[in-house]
Amino acid sequence: MTSEVSLEGVSFSYPNGVKALESVELTVPRAHTVSIVGPSGCGKSTLLAIVAGLTLPTSGTVTRCKVEPGRLPVTMVSQKETLLPWLKVKDQVGLHFRLRRQHKTERVRAWVQDLLDLVGLGDFQDAYPYQLSGGMRRRVAFLTAVAPIPQVLLLDEPFSSVDEPTRLVIHQDVFDITRQYEITTVLVTHDLAEAMSLSDEVIILSRGPGRVAAVHTMPFGPERDIVALREQPEFLELYGKLWRELGLQLDNGGRKRQRSFRDSTSHRPDWMTEG
Amino acid sequence: MKRRSDRSVGRVAILSAQISVLAAFLLGWQYLPQIHALSSRFHFLDPIFISSPSAVARSLYDQTTGAGGTATIWSYVVPTMEAALIGTVIGVVGGLCIGLLLANSGTLNRVFRPLLIAINAVPRIALIPVFLIVFGLSVKGTAAVCVAVVFFVAFFNAYEGGSSVPSEVLDTVELLGASRWQLVTRVRFPYAAAWTFAALPLAITFAILTVVTAEVLIGTRGLGRLLLISLQDGQSTLTFTVAIVLSVLGLVAVGITEFAKSRVLHWWGRT
Repeated sequence: MTSEVSLEGVSFSYPNGVKALESVELTVPRAHTVSIVGPSGCGKSTLLAIVAGLTLPTSGTVTRCKVEPGRLPVTMVSQKETLLPWLKVKDQVGLHFRLRRQHKTERVRAWVQDLLDLVGLGDFQDAYPYQLSGGMRRRVAFLTAVAPIPQVLLLDEPFSSVDEPTRLVIHQDVFDITRQYEITTVLVTHDLAEAMSLSDEVIILSRGPGRVAAVHTMPFGPERDIVALREQPEFLELYGKLWRELGLQLDNGGRKRQRSFRDSTSHRPDWMTEG
Repeated sequence: MKRRSDRSVGRVAILSAQISVLAAFLLGWQYLPQIHALSSRFHFLDPIFISSPSAVARSLYDQTTGAGGTATIWSYVVPTMEAALIGTVIGVVGGLCIGLLLANSGTLNRVFRPLLIAINAVPRIALIPVFLIVFGLSVKGTAAVCVAVVFFVAFFNAYEGGSSVPSEVLDTVELLGASRWQLVTRVRFPYAAAWTFAALPLAITFAILTVVTAEVLIGTRGLGRLLLISLQDGQSTLTFTVAIVLSVLGLVAVGITEFAKSRVLHWWGRT
């Protein structure tokens, strides 16, 4: 199995000395989807920025596969709003082609239209972002990132702001499109069910500084009905197992906090005891 | 439905109140100075100083139509508006470009922004004579004064707009293949332009005000000259006429920019 991205001994510290990542070893096979879950502040988003090449690691190496002709190396969907508010939906989705002045060709127009039809936004191609619902805007952001068929797609909690039913519909679109166009995907999320439904592998990061605490292969095959999958006993059983493992990471920090809180409250403040 | 009706009654009531206040003001202005006991006691109620609405209306009619053999006001309006327009265009374009440049470059920003803030703190009105000496006692001179004021309004807005682009947006567009130049022209520029455009009504108001001030100092052209004449001849009616013409010109200019803003920036503040 060819690896698309691999990280060897990657560590990252902020200028103030706080360590975000420590010796992360990670391999993402080509055309696979890998999800990264972990407690808040474990360095998930930093890891994604390093994979994107937006942030350099303090130490360690990041290796990316050679880019195939006609494809972009990496694109990204952030959890924040990144649509350009003055562009119509069709111009937004075709942004990469606009930047290369190819957006007026019939081939590009048809491709953008096909993508919009695929996710049910065909009738909204002339709408502006403010005329769309939150879920629609997230879909447009996703299509903008996949339209150039990138070799690696990075998703940084992209659907966290969307309600659950809408999120399930978007999950199906994401799963189908990334599989159909063989886009290697790295998803960072807080939502364990989202990670499991979309991925071939789920990686649990430890509490900060983030290290790879566990790697789980998802046995759900290359074709999935996301809604039906979540009702399967196999999914629910694995969900419970992963949740317990993830809980261990949360609990470690929780216990530490609790202990330090008890310590700090074992003595009453002076003002309570005075008089 | 009830709330709609409530709102519409509210609008009518507000409009009626506004008309009543205006009518009371005009009536007071017209008739209070005619009460000798008042005008002799309160200096500002002397008709020589405050004229009257009917006299101002007559003067306005004469000045705009040339009735009664009076020279029309339009020959004074043209140089004022010409200088204000030229000054606004140059000031806005210059402020937008420099604001964008500094928003895009940390080094340039650190070098030049404190200097620009310091220059902005200098009262431009005090420097009007310098501008007029350098650029001449013509439309060029008054437009230059206008540029000196409008530039800073545009600059600070463009800078804020260019700096307000979220880093996630820049990262996303960069990964989509944008060059450094395209990040400036395709992402930062629309943000900076939107902020600058939003400040255009304010910039135009400042522009007219500055040009008229410079014209009063020059005393040879524009509505400023008419104001100077009214002052020298003690024609308070003419002063009020010019003031009303300036208000109308300002309102029209602001109305046009507000309309253009609502069309061009329909997406502004709605995302």
